[in-house]
Amino acid sequence: MRYLKIKSDKIHPFLERLSTYGALYGPVKISEEFYDYRKIDDVKDVAFEYTRTVTPAKKYVIPTRQDMFEFDMDTNEYRETIGEVEPFVLFGLHACSIVGLRILDGVYLDEYPDKYYKVRRDAGIIIGLSCLPDEYCFCNLRRTDFVDIGFDLFLHELPDGYLVRVGSEQGHKIVDENQDLFEDVNNQDIQNFKKFERKRHEMFQYQGSFDNLRYMLELTEDHPLWDRESDKCLGCGNCTMTCPTCRCYDVQDIPDIDGVHGKRIRYWDSCQFRSHGLVAGGHNFRETKKDRFINRYVCKNAYFYPLGTAYCVGCGNCTHFCPANIDFLKNLMEIRGISEGVYEHSR
Amino acid sequence: MDNEFLPHPAVIRRIVPLSPDTKLYHLEFKDPRRQKDFTFQPGQFVELSLAGLGEAPISLTSSPLTRDHFQLCIKRVGRLTDFLDSLGEGRTVAVRGPYGNGFPLEQLYGFDLVFVAGGIGLAPLRSLITTVLAEPHKFGTLQIFYGARNPDEIIFREELQQWQQHADVQVTVDRGDESWQGPVGYVSQLVEQAEVAPDSSAVICGPPAMFKPTVDKLREKGVEKVNVSISAERRMKCGIGKCGNCIAGGEVYVCLEGPVFTYEDYQRISGSF
Repeated sequence: MRYLKIKSDKIHPFLERLSTYGALYGPVKISEEFYDYRKIDDVKDVAFEYTRTVTPAKKYVIPTRQDMFEFDMDTNEYRETIGEVEPFVLFGLHACSIVGLRILDGVYLDEYPDKYYKVRRDAGIIIGLSCLPDEYCFCNLRRTDFVDIGFDLFLHELPDGYLVRVGSEQGHKIVDENQDLFEDVNNQDIQNFKKFERKRHEMFQYQGSFDNLRYMLELTEDHPLWDRESDKCLGCGNCTMTCPTCRCYDVQDIPDIDGVHGKRIRYWDSCQFRSHGLVAGGHNFRETKKDRFINRYVCKNAYFYPLGTAYCVGCGNCTHFCPANIDFLKNLMEIRGISEGVYEHSR
Repeated sequence: MDNEFLPHPAVIRRIVPLSPDTKLYHLEFKDPRRQKDFTFQPGQFVELSLAGLGEAPISLTSSPLTRDHFQLCIKRVGRLTDFLDSLGEGRTVAVRGPYGNGFPLEQLYGFDLVFVAGGIGLAPLRSLITTVLAEPHKFGTLQIFYGARNPDEIIFREELQQWQQHADVQVTVDRGDESWQGPVGYVSQLVEQAEVAPDSSAVICGPPAMFKPTVDKLREKGVEKVNVSISAERRMKCGIGKCGNCIAGGEVYVCLEGPVFTYEDYQRISGSF
């Protein structure tokens, strides 16, 4: 892999240059407590120290609401409405978000590639950024805490700048075209990179892996936590909306006032909603809140075989943004037979 | 790049009422080349699209050997099917597909066959039955058990009679009326009372409630679980493994890997886990 260094004083000029490759989006502090990805008009707004965002990066490839077709109700003819997708640069994605996008790729770009997804994915440049975990993070247990693919450039924090890994043709092009901003990596940088990675590793609350979790779940169908925890659940869907890999959507036809034309749209859906498994005639494949609660746990812990990882990337968003304080990680630990206090902070 | 979500206009060539709330639609793609190229396996489905109302997954009910049109058998159960019911011959709907795996036709070769249908579940099985009857030498004997709620709701009446010539066809209703002379009870009871060879291969299609009782009876006759196929449709909104509505068991897209499963696999994905 190709490694370079960018010094701290070059990072804002670098962001300025990035915005010439497409509309620049990155993490911005939006309130006392929260960050979110926003369009960057002033590069000084980019927040390098953020841990998580209110909305996941998937919104750039799967808009929350998206037009699919315009239709004519008399003739039942449909016209695709993808429109022009301008190139864009997503700056500051953490490893878990990058793996999240790769999982979405596996779903959306399979034997039936989704055109709406593909045009957005192809238009995006991905610049990764290293991070330190907070108490909700468990990407290490999911083995998604470090990425070797899925980005154009990845920036690793150093005391005096960033160590840059180049991950694609596009990444090479960007550094080649902006050579004045980069320099070679020296021995001290390498030591600092290693030190950062060690420090990061030690900051995770739990050590180990969740590789056996899926099977433990299958063997734990009667666990009392399903009733206890699903009883707390409000069914709001926050967990799925903030999840980097939840991708369920619903489709709706919206007729125009003329009663002839209209458009077919799709929008984010959630398996936590009662309507998700409801079919004509009134049958519901996930009738109770408990059914829907369990469905999310099973779905997130199932394996995404092309990557060899679970669908859950361990970002902790579902716990952080849960208004009922349902702790996904703690519940998974309980399923593994590890209670609080015994395993916590153990390495 | 093709847009797989794009529905293609198809004209309603013929409508055959089958019961008070169920009709058979003969459809033909407006684009002759699309119609010419349209092939499918029994047990596959299409997404039927009505602009302004949305889409619904509907099983193909005609024989794949019929190439100048295809048929969908549709019961009035919701908004989309209500509106469809109001459309006459010559009107245009839109269709995309076919999707799903279909029945495991080649795995049925050489077997004595037991087909069990409940209600509208006869629609996809009709496609398989006509396919089997077109090449009877490839299969053993054929038994067809069909249950409807009441005599009025029996669909494909004429064909049920025609099939009698080549197969053991038995029909039951949950509730009879003055005119009904046949058996009354669930379709699983027909299976219970019939003679079924233990090395038969069975295909079941109908409401989920009939799966277990029917399989239990087949198992009592010695039929192996791996030789029982079930068409277990879910809410297959997109049909191509994207929207996530039909995911079962956390990871199985019923629209891609199903809707036809062996009973073994069906049990694996259909519980909470």
